[in-house]
This record gives sequence, C-alpha cells and structure tokens, in this order.
Amino acid sequence: MNKHTKLALLVAPFLILGGYIASDLYIENEAEKTRVFQLEPSGNCDVINKSCILKSGEFEVNIYDEEGITTVNSTFPLDTATLFLVSENEEVTVYPLGMIDSAYYWKSSTALRQLASTQGAQYKLRLIANIKGGQYISEFTTRTM
Amino acid sequence: MEGETTYWQENLRLIFISLVIWFVVSFGLGILLVEQLNEFRLGGYKLGFWFAQQGSIYTFVALVFWYSAKMNALDKKYKVEES
Repeated sequence: MNKHTKLALLVAPFLILGGYIASDLYIENEAEKTRVFQLEPSGNCDVINKSCILKSGEFEVNIYDEEGITTVNSTFPLDTATLFLVSENEEVTVYPLGMIDSAYYWKSSTALRQLASTQGAQYKLRLIANIKGGQYISEFTTRTM
Repeated sequence: MEGETTYWQENLRLIFISLVIWFVVSFGLGILLVEQLNEFRLGGYKLGFWFAQQGSIYTFVALVFWYSAKMNALDKKYKVEES
C-alpha cells in the first residue's frame, strides 16, 4: 500500500462523515418546510355507507359516518384534522375533528347524515389533515348509494 | 520547478474530480434526485434509496482505488514514484 492509497483511505471517512452531516442538515431543513399534497378519492366516495377512501401516494384516509359521528381514519398519525361541509351555495361549516384514543382516528359529530343519507344524495366536503412536514388537502363529493 | 507546479496542478485537478464524484453520488443521487431515481428499480430496491444506502459506499471505495491508481500514474509520469 503506497502513500496515495493510505492518504485516500485516511481522507475517505472524513468525507463520509461530512456527507452524513450535510445530508442530515439538508433533510432536517426540508422536513421543517410545510408541503401541501392533494388527496384524491379512490373510486366512488360514499361516507354514509363507509366506503370513502382518499389517497395520496402511500398515505390513505378512510372517512365514514356512524350515527351522525363522522370519523377520519388515516394510515399515518395526524397532528390535526378538519372537515368542512360545503353546501350548494358554497356555505362552509367547519368541523375541527377530535382525536379518538390514537392519532390515527379523528371524529366529530356532523350534520352529514341529515344532509346526505337518502339514496342518490350527494354533498361536497373538504378535508385538511396536518401531519409533520406536510398538509394533506382534499375537496371531494360523497354520493350515497 | 515547473514540473513540480504541473504535478501539483494535475494532483489538484484529480482531487477536484474525486470531490465532484463524491458530491454527485452522495448528495446528488442519494438526496437531491432521490424522487426521480426512485421511479427506477435496482435489485428490487428503489434506485434513489439504493444510492443513499449502498451505491454511494460502493462508489466511495472504488473512488479510493481509482484516485490511488491515477496518482501512481502521475508519479510515474513525473518520475517521483516511491522506490
């Protein structure tokens, strides 16, 4: 092993360490930025009949209603979740959801069942789900089958 | 004296090229372009992930021996190799 190989082997760990520190700083800086992702309904969305899944990459949100309690169940834990019911004339009713036992389940009593329980009824909703480093938003329509 | 300067300049050029490769492979392919590279797969792994976890290390090891070989060639060229 000559002097050049020795020198290269000596310097390499410092470069690896430098790369690791630089990467860590970069990733940490990126994670602190709030990014917005759009959730899209997967097939027909029917909240009343427990068949409404919104997707964005590996993140999925299941929204369903049981006896007037609307629940949001997500694949990743959420920091906050807010549901909006939007009427035909664009009047918005806000429902900040409360956590149930774990950050994967959020719920609130809403008027959705009264507004869209009959077959064929449809209603526009919006959802904002906050997660560390990102905000997931969606505007979708529930159609009761 | 002129020979020493040229030798040193070529040495610096080699170090600069090595550092560029180090940066491109570790920071560029492993972090900055990770999303684009993840569209492709290598051995079942997403390519960007593979570069961040394994590819960069393989490249660093190869770089050590490449640098050493180039420097030896440079030593020979300027007749300053170890006896």
